[in-house]
Amino acid sequence: MGNLNIIAIVMVIGLTVFTVGLAIFVRRFTRTTADFYLAGRKVGTIANASAISGDYLSAASFLGVAAAVYASGLDGVWYAAGFAGGFIVVVLFIASALRRFGEYTVADFAFGRFGSSRIRLFTVVMVLLTSLFYMAPQMYGAGTTWTVLVGAGMFGLSPYQTGVVIVGLIIMFYVMVGGMKGTTLNQIFQFWWLWTAMFLVVVFAFTAGKFNYAKGLEEVTAENHRDVKTVTVAELTADDAALLASVETAMSEKGFAEVQAVVDAGDPDATVGVLIPAKNKLHTLRDMFFNEPGHRYNAFDQFSMVLALVLGTAGLPHILNRYYTNPSGSAARRSTFWVLVFIGTFYILAPIAGLAGKLIIDDAWRAGLAPANAAYVDGLLLKSDAIMPTLAQILGGEWLMGAVAAGAFAAMFSTTGGLLIASASAIGHDVYEKYINPDAPEARKVLVGKISVLFFAVVALGIGLGIPAVGLDKAYPALIAMMVTWAFAVGAGAFVPMLLTGIWWKKTTERGALAGMLVGGLGSFFFIIMNILKQLGHLPSEGVLAFVGSLTFPTLFTFPAALLTIIIVSKIDGQLPKNVDEIWMRIHGTASERHEKELGLDKVSTMFGNSKH
Amino acid sequence: MGETSARATHVQHGSHIDTIESVDAVFREQRKLSFAYGAVFFVVTLAIPAMSVWWKSWYAVPIWGGFTANYLFVSLLYYLFLWGLSWTYIKKADALDERLSHMADEIAAATLAAAEGGES
Repeated sequence: MGNLNIIAIVMVIGLTVFTVGLAIFVRRFTRTTADFYLAGRKVGTIANASAISGDYLSAASFLGVAAAVYASGLDGVWYAAGFAGGFIVVVLFIASALRRFGEYTVADFAFGRFGSSRIRLFTVVMVLLTSLFYMAPQMYGAGTTWTVLVGAGMFGLSPYQTGVVIVGLIIMFYVMVGGMKGTTLNQIFQFWWLWTAMFLVVVFAFTAGKFNYAKGLEEVTAENHRDVKTVTVAELTADDAALLASVETAMSEKGFAEVQAVVDAGDPDATVGVLIPAKNKLHTLRDMFFNEPGHRYNAFDQFSMVLALVLGTAGLPHILNRYYTNPSGSAARRSTFWVLVFIGTFYILAPIAGLAGKLIIDDAWRAGLAPANAAYVDGLLLKSDAIMPTLAQILGGEWLMGAVAAGAFAAMFSTTGGLLIASASAIGHDVYEKYINPDAPEARKVLVGKISVLFFAVVALGIGLGIPAVGLDKAYPALIAMMVTWAFAVGAGAFVPMLLTGIWWKKTTERGALAGMLVGGLGSFFFIIMNILKQLGHLPSEGVLAFVGSLTFPTLFTFPAALLTIIIVSKIDGQLPKNVDEIWMRIHGTASERHEKELGLDKVSTMFGNSKH
Repeated sequence: MGETSARATHVQHGSHIDTIESVDAVFREQRKLSFAYGAVFFVVTLAIPAMSVWWKSWYAVPIWGGFTANYLFVSLLYYLFLWGLSWTYIKKADALDERLSHMADEIAAATLAAAEGGES
């Protein structure tokens, strides 16, 4: 059993109780489906910006960015920049048009714009796929944080499994009870909590940790970058012990002696954590340094990753749904600016924490002061995703660790809550209300939404439990950020080409949009699965399959392919909806907004009114 | 809320009307603005990995402590670029909305008057 961090655990429990309490409080104001899915469309600019930021800043941002920087240096910093940059695409091309169009969901947009049920249903499938890709790392983050925080399991489960199950159940409960209003209020609170927690860690790093950004970067760059890996003795001693020789150059004398002791014990299946000199994948003739690109990505992936991150944001269903909660198109734009300010400051801080962790955790480990719940190899964390709680505990003891752990859970709660709402609305609204029982009373519709939340929470929970079982946690150095980027890649392939052409090219046809979504969405899915198989060692190391499997991010292929498919098929097809002018007026027309502005209806009232729609 | 009606040729909310002609005019202006800013965003954003691949002074030469120009831009300066770009875009988009709302009313009124004249 690991070390219990009592103060930290109390803080996490306090946050959880507050979250659930808020959902129960808001329950009385959730009466209609507009309330449940869209918070009654009465969310103000700053409130909505905070909620979007809470929705967006997931475990990938709070735990994953610092972890990616810790593990991969500059290639990891790109996660932060790309996550922020994505909102420019949203504000320039998507935000106000989506709000003007109205409706509830992305699938509604697809149906309203192209007029067919099959495109709506395919959009639903892609929404669910993207959401599940995004929920998986949140659940993994829950297990990882629980392991560092509590270090003990319950009910016969491991610490990791316990974290996944408990977080899954809490989110399921509060989303079912509070709907979008409860989720929105929680997201606002949770965003500011995790922003403050990140800020505190960085302030403590500069003060208590005596960290200096420019000098710290110089210090970690003074020697070659090293990778942490868990390998078997058989792998270490294969090919005349080539790997073992390489490990010896990367580790300290004491650290290598421990590895050698495991090798000398003679069990070929025994595993041991080792350090290996990192290779530069971009400039293959150069050594790999922390402050240079190339640790994770070759030239293709450098571009593809940037595209996946900046385009993917505009394809995240839970973020797009948020734009319908704005009172006007102009408010949607203003919300996005404030989102950029809020998350931008957060993303400036997260890589600082990653770099500071590199130095401070190493120092603490050498002084014998590193927290016992995390595993280390020669001063480096075995799992980089544990960096935030570990660094916080070193810098500020249990109080700061508590703030960070609560922040991590807040990040998981807020994002998974938004994803569950998006998934529930895809089934409850897009399928049940439209095709199965259009005349259902409001109470029944809300009930179906809640059952959908229950179902997808259980699915997310199962995926979270399955990640270590298939070995994914050992296949990627910073798994949380990596998995979230897969969701970005699927969203960027499936939705963004359809949304961009649907909004900005009147001649887009239903067949064109559908074909583009198939190529972009399923193409991205295919490449990601191939990459996972390659990382898990299930694909050959040479040949076509090896090349396909080596593409970490497929967006450089899939996005242009989807866009081209839409254009070519639409031109060949040429069958525009009969009411295309009406649709066009709905997307780009401003009469409604001018009218609302004249009457003062573009101003926000309160989320706690009794909305009547 | 005021009266709202929709026909194939126009949409009316209270006293404000959208016709396809007015919407097309508004759309063209909005497209020009969004795509101009979009071009700036993508050129700058994709220039970063391009320089990371091909310009050694960008990715390998420290300019301040351990900061290379590449690291400094991605970790700090890129955000200033994003904030500046989005702020100026929003200001321009709001100003455009204001200007276009008058234009839309005028075009819609002229179009409807011409259509009614044609019918009578």
